[in-house]
Amino acid sequence: MTERLRRHPELQAWLILAIPVIFLLIFFMAPLVIVFVYSFLERGKYGGVEWVFTLDNIRRVFDPLYFKTFVRSFYIAIVTTLVTLILGYPLAYFIAKSPPSRRNALVFALMIPFWTNFLIRTYAWLTLLRTHTGLINVTLMNWGIIDKPLPLYGNDFAIILGLVYGWLPVMVLPIYAALERLDESLLEAARDLYASSAKAFRRVTWPLSLPGVVAGSMLVFIPSLGAFVTPAILGGGKSLMIGNIISNQFLGAHDWPFGSALSMVMMIAMLIATLIYFRWTKKSEDVT
Amino acid sequence: MNDAYAVELRDVVKQFGDVIAVNHVSLQIKDGEFFSLLGPSGCGKTTTLRMIAGFEMPTSGAIFIHGEQQGYRPPNKRPVNTVFQNYALFPHMTVAENIAFGMEMRQVPKDEIQRRVDEALAMVRLAGMGNRKPKQLSGGQQQRIALARALVNRPEVLLLDEPLGALDLKLRKAMQIELKALQEEVGITFIYVTHDQEEALTMSDRIAVMNNGVVHQVGDPESIYEHPADRFVADFIGETNFIPVRVVSLSPEIVVALGAGQQVVAGWAEEGLSVGDEAVLSIRPEKMDLLEPKDMPKSPSQQMAYVKGKVTHLVYVGADTRHTVVLGDGSEVVVRLQNSYIGEEPWEIGEETIVTWNAAHARILKE
Amino acid sequence: MSAPMPPPTTLEHARWERFKSKLGGWSLTTYGILAFAFLYLPIVILVIFSFNDSRSVSKWSGFTWAWYGKMFQDGQIMLSIWNSLFLAIVSTIIATVLGTLAALGLERYRFRGKTAVDSMFYLPVIIPDIAMAIMLLIFFNMSGIGFTPWKVNFFGARLAVPYSVIIGHVAFNTSFVAIVVRARLAQMDRTLEEAASDLYANAWQTFRRVTLPMLMPGIIGGALLAFTLSLDDFVITFFTSGAGFNTLPVRVFGMIKKGVTPKINAVSTLMLVVSLSLVVVSILISMRSGSEDSVTIGM
Repeated sequence: MTERLRRHPELQAWLILAIPVIFLLIFFMAPLVIVFVYSFLERGKYGGVEWVFTLDNIRRVFDPLYFKTFVRSFYIAIVTTLVTLILGYPLAYFIAKSPPSRRNALVFALMIPFWTNFLIRTYAWLTLLRTHTGLINVTLMNWGIIDKPLPLYGNDFAIILGLVYGWLPVMVLPIYAALERLDESLLEAARDLYASSAKAFRRVTWPLSLPGVVAGSMLVFIPSLGAFVTPAILGGGKSLMIGNIISNQFLGAHDWPFGSALSMVMMIAMLIATLIYFRWTKKSEDVT
Repeated sequence: MNDAYAVELRDVVKQFGDVIAVNHVSLQIKDGEFFSLLGPSGCGKTTTLRMIAGFEMPTSGAIFIHGEQQGYRPPNKRPVNTVFQNYALFPHMTVAENIAFGMEMRQVPKDEIQRRVDEALAMVRLAGMGNRKPKQLSGGQQQRIALARALVNRPEVLLLDEPLGALDLKLRKAMQIELKALQEEVGITFIYVTHDQEEALTMSDRIAVMNNGVVHQVGDPESIYEHPADRFVADFIGETNFIPVRVVSLSPEIVVALGAGQQVVAGWAEEGLSVGDEAVLSIRPEKMDLLEPKDMPKSPSQQMAYVKGKVTHLVYVGADTRHTVVLGDGSEVVVRLQNSYIGEEPWEIGEETIVTWNAAHARILKE
Repeated sequence: MSAPMPPPTTLEHARWERFKSKLGGWSLTTYGILAFAFLYLPIVILVIFSFNDSRSVSKWSGFTWAWYGKMFQDGQIMLSIWNSLFLAIVSTIIATVLGTLAALGLERYRFRGKTAVDSMFYLPVIIPDIAMAIMLLIFFNMSGIGFTPWKVNFFGARLAVPYSVIIGHVAFNTSFVAIVVRARLAQMDRTLEEAASDLYANAWQTFRRVTLPMLMPGIIGGALLAFTLSLDDFVITFFTSGAGFNTLPVRVFGMIKKGVTPKINAVSTLMLVVSLSLVVVSILISMRSGSEDSVTIGM
């Protein structure tokens, strides 16, 4: 038998992979398929489902009421990604330009917040942003800078802030990795060929760091789109994203087919957005 | 079944997809000899070695070790050990544990393992280093540990894959001498892969010169150097001049015509050449000499060739000087003259000269 | 020696260039400091107010340990801590084994259908947790596994941990472990395994004596990652625990919904300390194994 195994490495591979693959097939792929199937079923009278095929759920997803939330979620995700990019790129640059001995410490310092619980970090902002009792408003009012509390909570601003805060390290890391790998002599060559600092950045540094930007953007966009905790805590019950609507279908409304449909559409939207993004960045890569 | 050979390859072929890395190679490697596989990168020498070790299986053909056909035997069942190019010392084990590994796998009793590990360390002159980790050792020391780790298992054949490649020149030369001495002392067959022809010539009892998966010539260093079998070997080993010629006759004497028409005699011609073929006359620079035209002998011997030419270039390299001479038909040769003559005038650029050599040293090879 | 003196404008220009680059350097450093302040300030404030001598989390009234005392006396919180630990330990062990097997299979072999299997293992990492949470919720509901608990006595605490949550955690953690272990496998020197084989080790011995020890730092790194992710998970746990099972994050969420007090800050600080310790441990381990990307474990 061992002789057979050695002759056929494929068999070895399957033997080793058997358990993990079966596990994922049962507890990941099967649920995925079930969600897909559920999207087309009717909601049962007493919760649960009726095994009747219907397209109603899909139709409802595109109902202005819900579609509005989709659009808002996309808006929030895109803004979050942009803001993290704008804030994160200079930070990555800063770390990459630091003396090598300090770099590891800085990356470590960057990752510590990311390693702490997301819920807690969001809660921290809650205590800062709340309208009447949040630290920011309380302090500003105490110091007489404002006399009415600023609307920092329960709106898109709070959610975007919370998401940016949560995902900033994730945007910085791939960009830092790309910048760190950048060959200094390329920039020196650009300067030697009469490029100003700005030109050198635009024509050499930026394009070469682009893969890092793409990776970071994807890693921020997807979770932002599917955010649940952040809008739940910072949205004040008013600002909701797709994640919350989906959650409601399962906890409150007990409309599982509709929740599945929403989830399916969300995942497909993410897939399409990812593909478009990759296509678009590939094109700009080819141009440079 | 032939027990006289340590390793025998019979018509071995190795193909990777469309690429034929080893192309019908047959070799007979004798017991106790230091045998080198020599050739440029990609010639198939490492692949051949790996097939003997068992890391690759031949696509066709057979490999015998002391008469036993190996078939599909994996490396751990073959009576050979390998010294890897990058040493492949286990970084998480100490030097002693590295050396002991093979014996542990074969369940040699503990006290014997200990004894043999100490012996092995002494043999490579690293006694007492047993408790160190490989990364604490220098490149040269790591190389010797890799050697000890292999030899301690008393293999029938030791395979070495360019083991000295990572060492600097001085260390490499020293290790070459050590390895050769070690091989003679231990007495087992060494099969040594290298691309450095000087290394192969220095250390080997016999060399197989390979290119593009094919063995061009097998022989002892002197044969390889003095009597190269074809153009590749002549070119790869040492420095050679190639003069374009046409074959005029092959028997009773080998006569060829140089570009300008002059005919010279040669000592050997490659098989397969016929009268009228275009070929090259291969001769080593140190086998040639330069005469002043006024010193041309009145009745020149038929054994010697005398060709007119003009000196175009001189390079002083210390022990000798390389004189580039352009012959009548435009072809260039390099003649090496030792810088040991006192009182003679050195050659100057532009001087007319006569290049001369003994026909015995001239070999006619296919282009 | 006889070169003409450069005109003054060039020298000034050089000075200006130097000043600009110094300015650039300074502003970059300032930005860096501000950015790190932005990242750390909320956390620092959170910790500070856990010691606040009042019910407010925004008005400082004095220092006290009271909230920590209240936290440790709160039976529900303590129970949720035990739940979190047990869940993390169990799911980490399983996920590490599965993830390591997956990494070995995917990194070392080529076979038909490999791309499909490869992609499948990446999905749990990419998919947003809400989607995965409801997927599992439906599955467990529908399949009859339900939320049956594993009743176990864990260091004196009597726990009832639903199998569904354990499975859910294993489902996402396996992929993370696989990624980390795979990265380590990829940078392993293959000739070491050939050397072992050359020295008479069979496949199993080679794995046990050479591959596994060299892989260990990666496996431990993956395990630590899985442990941290499990401890920190909220969304998937929230949806797959059925009724009444709380891990610490789930408990915190409930507390936030009920009302904000420094007790939450205290719990948060505790979780912070635990997370930090885990990060430090993983850094130490990867430093010892001599790998260069010591801080990118988990990314």
